[in-house]
Amino acid sequence: MTNFKQIEENLKKEAKKLLEAGSVAVVLAYTKGADEKHPQPFAAKKADDVANIIFNEYCNHNLARYIVRYAPGTKIAVAVKAADSRAVVVLIQEEKIKRENLILLGIPVSGMKNQKTGEIIDEKTTGGLTNPVVYDVLLGEEIHTGKPVSPYTVLEQYEKMDKDARFAFWKAQFDKCIRCYACRKACPMCYCDPCFIDQTKPRWADKSPQSHGNLMYHLTRFQHLAGRCIDCGECTRACPVDIPLYLFHKKVAKDCEEMFKQAAGMKIEDKLVMVDFRVEDSDKILE
Amino acid sequence: MEFEPKILGIACNWCTYTGADLAGTTRLKYPQNLRVVRVMCSSRINPSFIFRAFQLGADGVLVGGCHPGDCHYNTGNLYARRRLAVTKKILDFAGLEPSRFRVEWISASEGNKFAEVVKEFTEHVQILGPQTKFKIAGVS
Repeated sequence: MTNFKQIEENLKKEAKKLLEAGSVAVVLAYTKGADEKHPQPFAAKKADDVANIIFNEYCNHNLARYIVRYAPGTKIAVAVKAADSRAVVVLIQEEKIKRENLILLGIPVSGMKNQKTGEIIDEKTTGGLTNPVVYDVLLGEEIHTGKPVSPYTVLEQYEKMDKDARFAFWKAQFDKCIRCYACRKACPMCYCDPCFIDQTKPRWADKSPQSHGNLMYHLTRFQHLAGRCIDCGECTRACPVDIPLYLFHKKVAKDCEEMFKQAAGMKIEDKLVMVDFRVEDSDKILE
Repeated sequence: MEFEPKILGIACNWCTYTGADLAGTTRLKYPQNLRVVRVMCSSRINPSFIFRAFQLGADGVLVGGCHPGDCHYNTGNLYARRRLAVTKKILDFAGLEPSRFRVEWISASEGNKFAEVVKEFTEHVQILGPQTKFKIAGVS
């Protein structure tokens, strides 16, 4: 089990060091929210801010989301968990940020909890990882649980469903959508300006929360995140009506991995699968 | 009355569209259910085109491009292949019949193949019946 207090101490110490030395302009971490279960993302800009930093088992937010908000060239230190570090890798691959402008404070962690349900999210939405794939400073002991977790086992029951049942399932889910775009706001990969759904020429889909517009919005979003989704599950946790978006993202990630033999955000040298090709890709993938 | 499917064809300017021209000039017969839109390259096709076509009442979507390696822009169809493969998987997992969406490589000299593909695909969609799952109610 992860020692959250220990990580919090280390995080504070590291942040203080960086801010006092002036080697970063901002440290992205977590602070106290309304209560213990609702911590907030926090940007520490002065050494005094460091006292507000906390870390507990409800700090699920993917802080990679906030990197793109700073002007290019800003030196940023980010606290990254396993999935967050993959998001950072994808952002580097997409040239949204340079590696040399980042200091990654890696947090090896297991036993994070969903603030709504209280259940442990490890096996559901962390891509089966507990240690960050890339970091500069590690704020704790690396975790080796021994049993490798496949991130895709939760999909089995949905893959077995027959087509009509699956359509009915997704239709019921998407019909709940109120189009608050919390999934888009929470997603570290959703930084397009304007988003396709906000465009009026062409207008891709209705903005009102109706079945067909919802379907268009979500399906296109799944397509846009193909080969980029790093399975942090923030979209699902941000969703006020509990649509299990992570299932669909996982499925697309699984298909991409099977077809193109590469998982998103594992190595900085990799090219994103959707902006890459192999001449020897088989036409079978289209069947 | 027999069901006449509406099929959207998106054809690349250099191969499939020219192939369709050839099918026309050689007086080949193929079903008239296909409405062809010409694009400059199969990689011009935004996957949202396909979702939107189904919403606006298409019963099938046929995408035509150059054979891999023969792209006029060298690599366009290789990107398109990956992209549209993902689109197909998404349609599948969302519960729509993915066989309503087909990608075919048809070169400019394959007028025969074009006619055959259209014929076969139209028959296939005819058997599947009208596409109602994604269609917006009231769109005709």
